[in-house]
Amino acid sequence: MTRLLLEKRWVQLGLLLTLLASAVYYWGWVFDFGYTFDWSVLFTVNKTYGEHYGLLLLMGVCWTVVISLVSAVAALGLGICFGLGRVSQFRPVFWLSTAYVEFFRNTPLLVQLLFWYFAFPMALPEGAREVVFGFQVTFATFLPTWLEWMLPAWLADMHFGFEFMTAVIGLSAYTGAFMAEVIRAGLQSIPKGLLEAAYSSGLTYPQVLRKIILPVAFRAIIPPLGSEFLNNMKNSSLAMFVGVAELAWSSQQVESMTFRGFEAATAASALYLTLSLVISAVLNAVNVKLRVGQTTCTPGERLLRRVVDPLCAGCELATRPARRLLERAAAHRRAARGMTYSPARAALNSAAARTWGLLVLAAKAAFLAALAFVLYSAARGLWNFNWAVIADNFRTMLIWRLPTDDPSEIMGGTGGLAMAILMAVIAITASFPLGLLAGLGRTSSNLLLRVPSTLYIEIIRGNPLIMVIFWVYFFIPVLTGTFLHVFWSATIALTVFTGAYLAEIVRAGVQNIPPGQFEAAFSTGLSYYRVMRHIILPQALKQMIPPIVGQFIAIFKDTSLAYVLGVMELTNVTMVLNNRLMIYPIEMYTTAAFLYFVCCYAMSTYARRLELRLSPERQSLHM
Amino acid sequence: MKLSKIVALACLAALMTASAALAGPAWDNIEKTKVLRVGLMTDSIPGAFYNDKKEWVGMDVDMAEELAKRLGCTLERVAVNNKTRIAFVQQGRIDVSIANMTHKRERDKSIDFSITYFFDGQKLLAKKGQFTKWEDFVGKKIATMQGTTSEINIKNLLKELGDADADKNVISFQKESECYQALKMGRVAAWTTDSTILLGYAAQDPGQFELVGDFFSNEPYGMGLPEDDSKLRDAVNFAIQDMWADGTYMQIYNKWYGPDTPYAFPMTEQIEMWP
Repeated sequence: MTRLLLEKRWVQLGLLLTLLASAVYYWGWVFDFGYTFDWSVLFTVNKTYGEHYGLLLLMGVCWTVVISLVSAVAALGLGICFGLGRVSQFRPVFWLSTAYVEFFRNTPLLVQLLFWYFAFPMALPEGAREVVFGFQVTFATFLPTWLEWMLPAWLADMHFGFEFMTAVIGLSAYTGAFMAEVIRAGLQSIPKGLLEAAYSSGLTYPQVLRKIILPVAFRAIIPPLGSEFLNNMKNSSLAMFVGVAELAWSSQQVESMTFRGFEAATAASALYLTLSLVISAVLNAVNVKLRVGQTTCTPGERLLRRVVDPLCAGCELATRPARRLLERAAAHRRAARGMTYSPARAALNSAAARTWGLLVLAAKAAFLAALAFVLYSAARGLWNFNWAVIADNFRTMLIWRLPTDDPSEIMGGTGGLAMAILMAVIAITASFPLGLLAGLGRTSSNLLLRVPSTLYIEIIRGNPLIMVIFWVYFFIPVLTGTFLHVFWSATIALTVFTGAYLAEIVRAGVQNIPPGQFEAAFSTGLSYYRVMRHIILPQALKQMIPPIVGQFIAIFKDTSLAYVLGVMELTNVTMVLNNRLMIYPIEMYTTAAFLYFVCCYAMSTYARRLELRLSPERQSLHM
Repeated sequence: MKLSKIVALACLAALMTASAALAGPAWDNIEKTKVLRVGLMTDSIPGAFYNDKKEWVGMDVDMAEELAKRLGCTLERVAVNNKTRIAFVQQGRIDVSIANMTHKRERDKSIDFSITYFFDGQKLLAKKGQFTKWEDFVGKKIATMQGTTSEINIKNLLKELGDADADKNVISFQKESECYQALKMGRVAAWTTDSTILLGYAAQDPGQFELVGDFFSNEPYGMGLPEDDSKLRDAVNFAIQDMWADGTYMQIYNKWYGPDTPYAFPMTEQIEMWP
């Protein structure tokens, strides 16, 4: 009876609304936060400092948007270059691209940013450093003088200096590595027959690349590429550590100036969520527009189509004369070229081809020379490292022991790499059941399960990890009345964060199983639990292993963010040591990056082997 | 099924034991447990920092120990930073915060303060021999810590001196150490915050940096205390006064700021006008 009732949509909706109402009532009126809310800080001028903190937050949004846009474009460029490099026949290019991708994917963004900001300029000669530090650009620089009146004061006020440049370089190098992998996968997914057909019809490699490979590949990779754009926007929150006043920074500023942490964090989270939603909407629109062959649309997609289609039609109509003109010119050129070559023309053509070949050869030689130079200077730099400093502090970076019986230590004074691993292991273990539940909840047809799961997943995924860390840190004490060691609050934040990503992996895995299997299983009379336990999850989990391991690597890198709470993990230990030694930032940050890299690379290598062993094609060989 | 329940319970128990005591009126709690929980910085030299033997030392640490002794408590040292020092007092995670806290009216809305136990002022630290007065820094980049009164003071000072780009020239970092690194690598012309912190860092590279110009703000340091707990506030205030009266304070002060230390900082008048 209850089950039958629960399957009714109106019952589910009613229960959800009741739950919502009681939650609002409980948190709004009954529960004592020990804290009085004052939302006016967000829309009034603060009397003590004479500053409007709501405007400051909006200014933070501007910075986040600008950084995200610039670094996304740069990352896409890097991704295309190195993605093509990863499928190159020319070995040195392949090696360079592989090294780039593996290195930048497997070290935490925070460590990279700190390296670019604090260590890299030290490696430059004095004169170059002056130039780099003197870098200063504004929006007005790009506009002709007679158009400057168009810039509103707040836009004209944005100065892009060394901090901005570091953030952009760090972000785009990091995101670019991920995009390169996405692009490589897209390129390699192109059917061989298509390429053979293209080459046999007489197209040259650049033509094939431009007309066949890139269009086909890009259509396939738009969804994963889109999520990289989204990640890039969220990762821009780390720019606050190199002194860029973006959204996370501004929310911190509001918090430390007015002590209104809850209000500031709520506003920042809402703004991040809005940005994420806008980006997803744009990406979905592109996706819907470019998709071929699929006619069924969800209601959301239909809505998007209704907005996008007229827009696209308008664009097409507007550009039509220009396109016509181009087409006609091309047709003229084709007609003029004729079908046969004169001997002189043929000689010219072959000469051009030979010159081109020589040019390619020269370019390869130049590339090799440049690579050799980079390797030589890197080796010389390494040779000149103060290895004694690294040797002295290596043990501390691995395990870090505080003096005993200090109440602020945890796990007997563990820290450094050991603590990072410990946090990652706990977060991974605890987030797995969470992700499984939320992921299954999201695939459920019951609104009571689906709505909360979806809310959890989307809210967490729409926010950067740093915001999740702040939320957990400040609000577990308020809600529970207990104080957790910072280690625990960071680990809980990591768990909650990973859970949402795992849930999406689980959902994709479950939805990949043919629906016929569900129907067959249910029709044999198995319950939902047993269907999942014995039929669906064993198959789905096998498919999920590569993305899950990818998530685990991500979470290991993300432990570096616990440094904001003062957890003594590897990044924080590096900073403390660097702080005391003062003059060896390159040595310290390189060592930290190396340690992270070794762990992540080992994990990803293992994942690749596991994937091979578990893939169905391989398994059938053993039978 | 059973196993998973046991694991869940064990995890919960571990979490609970990891957490500290519940919040409550601080003074009653101190009376009951005889433990004084004090928030201290970890990277503020010579206030409170980890030295190269990884011991937690500094003037604030000594003050905390003396305070606990006078209140008849054992001391529990809790690491705080400029983000958590006030939140911890508000939440009741610590009873007293001795963490370079300038007594400001805006802050007094959220927590209470003891009487002034140290008097500092804001200055500018720069490479030796390049600058002589405030005016030299107009149009130059200056580092400071995010969310501190120093940030506001330096912006106001630059504006007063006629720097049109004051807001852009001040770069805010998350930690003192980051400011110092930025100064060292030449990203900024100066780093500004309370002068004792600057002295502490400058002493790491003797002879390379110097303080420039006069103080441009008064920074009376108070100990942060929970709002409306007058018994605790009285006890702390009396303890500080007694320390001053019987000379213990000067002993601690001279240990860290005396003329023979690398952080030599002469006692100012304001501090001598104490009760």
